[in-house]
Order: sequence, then structure tokens, then C-alpha cells
Amino acid sequence: MEKTEVTEKLTLILRKVLNNDSLVLRDDMTASDVDNWDSLSHMIIINDIETVFSIKFKLKDLNKMRNVGNMIEIIISKL
Amino acid sequence: MTFTSFNFLIFFPLLAVIYYLFPARLRWIVLLIASYFFYINIKPVYALLTTGITLSTYLFTRLIDKSDSEPRKKAFMIINVVLILLPLFFFKYFGAINSGVLTFLEDHNLRWPLPEIKLLLPVGISFYTFMAVGYTIDVYNEEIKVEKNIGILALFVSFFPLVLSGPIERAKNMLPQFRSRVDLNYANVIYGLKLMLWGYFMKLVVADRTGIYIDAVFNNFLNHNGTSLLIASLLRPFQVYTDLGGYSLIAIGTARILGFKVMCNFNRPFFATSMGEFWRRWHISLITWLTDYIYTPLSFTFRKLRIWGIVLALLITFLISGIWHEASWNYVVWGIIQGIFLSLEALNHKTRAAFEKKYAIIKSPVFIFLSIVVTYLLFSGSLIFGRAGSLSNAVVIYHKILTNHGTPYLDLTTLAYSFLGIFLILFKDFTDEYYPDKVKLFENKRVWVRYGSYLLILFIILLFGVFEGNKFIYFQF
Repeated sequence: MEKTEVTEKLTLILRKVLNNDSLVLRDDMTASDVDNWDSLSHMIIINDIETVFSIKFKLKDLNKMRNVGNMIEIIISKL
Repeated sequence: MTFTSFNFLIFFPLLAVIYYLFPARLRWIVLLIASYFFYINIKPVYALLTTGITLSTYLFTRLIDKSDSEPRKKAFMIINVVLILLPLFFFKYFGAINSGVLTFLEDHNLRWPLPEIKLLLPVGISFYTFMAVGYTIDVYNEEIKVEKNIGILALFVSFFPLVLSGPIERAKNMLPQFRSRVDLNYANVIYGLKLMLWGYFMKLVVADRTGIYIDAVFNNFLNHNGTSLLIASLLRPFQVYTDLGGYSLIAIGTARILGFKVMCNFNRPFFATSMGEFWRRWHISLITWLTDYIYTPLSFTFRKLRIWGIVLALLITFLISGIWHEASWNYVVWGIIQGIFLSLEALNHKTRAAFEKKYAIIKSPVFIFLSIVVTYLLFSGSLIFGRAGSLSNAVVIYHKILTNHGTPYLDLTTLAYSFLGIFLILFKDFTDEYYPDKVKLFENKRVWVRYGSYLLILFIILLFGVFEGNKFIYFQF
């Protein structure tokens, strides 16, 4: 799967969980840049990513997700 | 030796001079010796704990680093975490478990010659144990590189400004600072002294003064009416904030004078507009530690349950926080209450956001004020469980607050000094929160305003401070 396709799918997940239809992702974007993206919504996002991409994260992966760019890289590495 | 002892007023300036007289590359050694001296000064045997925790953590983190096998790395991490938590569990819970077993046996008419053992908890054990646990997990998660200099690791575990009650620092913040060259910096010294001054004001003027009224009422709650208990309960959050918050500022200021930046522990908690926000502003070093090492792994494990997984993780995390405070039912209830507050907010998060958006009240001063008051009342109400001493006492206190009103017990001098201190705390926190660039006292550009403020606070400390029996509340945890 290409990076653009992963980004598109990830955008849809984040828009739905964070209730923000106009959200546009950037690689350097962090959770603190986005309204409602807190430690509570983060785990729901993680679960939805696993379901949509049919992958499984390890706890260590979460610690490496410093920004959206890292998140996409980790997703691609698991596909 | 504690921050409010006379010995500290001699120890610290003397140490600061010796520290900066030494060549920069040797200063960490001076600090390590000073830290052990500081801790040994409380009780020599305690140094065995910091030494044991340092040695075990050094050995197992080096093994984690050297091992190529993931299961082995995990095993080394778990072994060290269990090993270094053992002393904490032993000192904290052995007495409670032992007396529980004795009571159970006696209830079933079984006499067993077990002596009732009461162990004194080594002061600070929770704080440096948590720091070492965090470091071990961070090395395992490859968040930081392993520390190869055992002396630097020993300094991280025993660093005297933090050893008694935190802030519970992280290795990734402190280890690079301990490794770097530290030079005498005028701005650091002045900033550190300002933090210490405000910390002493919080502790000596507010915490210990409000504590006199609160102790008088709570320690004799059967003879006080509900109105007095209500006043004491409403003052209690200020007592805890100024006690631990004051301690933290002295600790952070002390570290800053020596050239180290330590994380902030409180961020104007009484201006939080929800319990979630409150817990992001209150005892930040403990809450972020609990979030990283307990809440996140739990919510990750329960992630398939979506929002209910989060609720479960919140409840368990705060239950553990309650039991950490004390192995008693009143603290279990205190922890569960915090978990319920946060769970309800998590479940109603979207509804609240929609309500605030629909009526455009998110920036309304009245809505903000009401939210602040409700948050404060919820927190002060929950603190009764912690202060009551037992669950049955808490029930009696609640019952009295709701039903038994009358003329309150008024210790006018104590209350007047307390309210003066609380007013100054609230004034500073209010201006820092809403007008950070407009009202400045300690940071004012005019020299006379700055020095006038220092002298005024110093004068208030000397005039209204309590200088007897200053025990810090969190030393017991």
C-alpha cells in the first residue's frame, strides 16, 4: 500500500474519532496540534487503525509514534 | 534533614559554594556525595535502599541493553521492576496485610502467635523507586540509551532535591543534564531562589497554618458540627496543594540553583474547569508517570473494548493510585471516586463539547467560573476520604456535613492568616493564568517592585509562618 493511500485511510479514521470533518493531516502534526486528540481518544484511534489496516501494534510501537509521519511509517512497516 | 529544617539552611548554601568551587567535570561527584549525606542524615540505613535500587537497576538495564533476544530483554525488565518494587511493597503493605491476617484469625477464634509489626516507611522510597522503574521501562522500550556510568545512575536515584517527595523525574530529562557540564549561571541562581521563596511561603504560611485548623477539626470530628467540618474540608485542597506544591517548588528551585531543570509538579490546579483538566494540573509528575507506565499499557490491553476499555483502565489506574497512597479502604474509595469522575467525563466528552458549542459558552466567564467551582467541590469532597482516617469516619463526616449545621468552630487568628495566604496564592495563580504578561511581581522589570515583592513575602513568612513541627504530607507516601 502506498503512503498516500495509508494517509487517506488514516485521515478518515481520525476525522471520525475526533469528530472533525475538515481535518487534514501533515507528517509533522502531533496529537497536541489537534483538538480532542488526547490520551482517551488515542487508544480508540489505535484500535481503529488495527481494524482498518488488519495489523497489530505492540506497546513499543506506540512510544515511537511521535507524530503523524512516524505513525504512517509504522503502519506501512506492518503491512 | 528536610527543606524546612535549620540544618538545610546551612547544608544547602555550603554545598552550593563547594559545588561551584569544584571543576565542572567533577561536580556530579560532589552532588552524589551530598545526596547520600542528605539521605543518610535522615536515617543511615536508608542509604542501603538507594544503593540496592541503583545496583539492581544498573545491572538489569545493562543486561537489557546487551541482550539480542526480545523475550530475554522483557524478562530482565520484569525482574528488575519486581525486585526494586519489593522493598516498597514490604514497607508499605506488610503491616496492613499482617494485621489483616491477625484480625481474620481472631474473628475465626484462631489464636496464632504472630507479633503485630509496624514498620516505618522509609521517607521518599516511593519516589525514587518510581524513578528507577520508569528508567528501566524506558531502556526496555528503547526510549533512552542505557546509562553506563553507575555514578550518574546513582545520582539520578538519590538526587537530594527530589529524593524525599519528587517531583518524580524522568531519566531522559535528568541523565543528559547530569552528564553535561554545569556552569555557574546568575539567572539560574536568581530564578531558583525565587521558586524557593514562593515554595517556603506556600508551605510555612499556608499549608502549615491551614493544617492547624484542619487537624483541630478532623482529629476531633466527633465533637465538631457539620459546618466546621465543611470549612475544614473546603480548606483541605489548599493545604495539600501548598504542602506538596510548596515542597516541589523548593525542590525545583534547589535543583535550578545547582544548574538543573526539573519538571513542574503543579500548574494552577484550582483553575481547572473539569476533573480531567484538574488531573493534568495536579501532581503532574505522578500523574504522567501513572499515565505512561500504568494507564497506557492497560488501555492498550483493553483497546478492543474502545471507550469501555478506557473507562476500565482509568478505574484501575486510580485504584492503584489510591492503594499507593495507603493500603486502606478509605483510599481505595478515594481512588475509585477519581476513576469514576474521569470515566464519566470520558463517556460524556462529546455531549459536553456539543453543549458548549451549541450555546457558545466555552469562553463565557460565568460558565468557566461555575466549572471551576464544581471541579473544586468535587475534589475537596473526595479528599475527605483520604483525610478521614477510615471509611466509617468518612461516612460520619459526610453525614454531619449534610445534616448537622450550627455555629462553626472559629480559630480566628489561624483562619485569618490562612485566608491571607490563600488570597495571595489565588491572586498569583489567577494573574499567571489569565494575565501572564500584565501583572508581574517577582519578574517585574522595575527593581523596586521586584525587591519589594521579595521582601514582602519574606516578611510574611517570618511574621505569619509556622516554624514548628513542619512535616510534609507526602513524606508518609
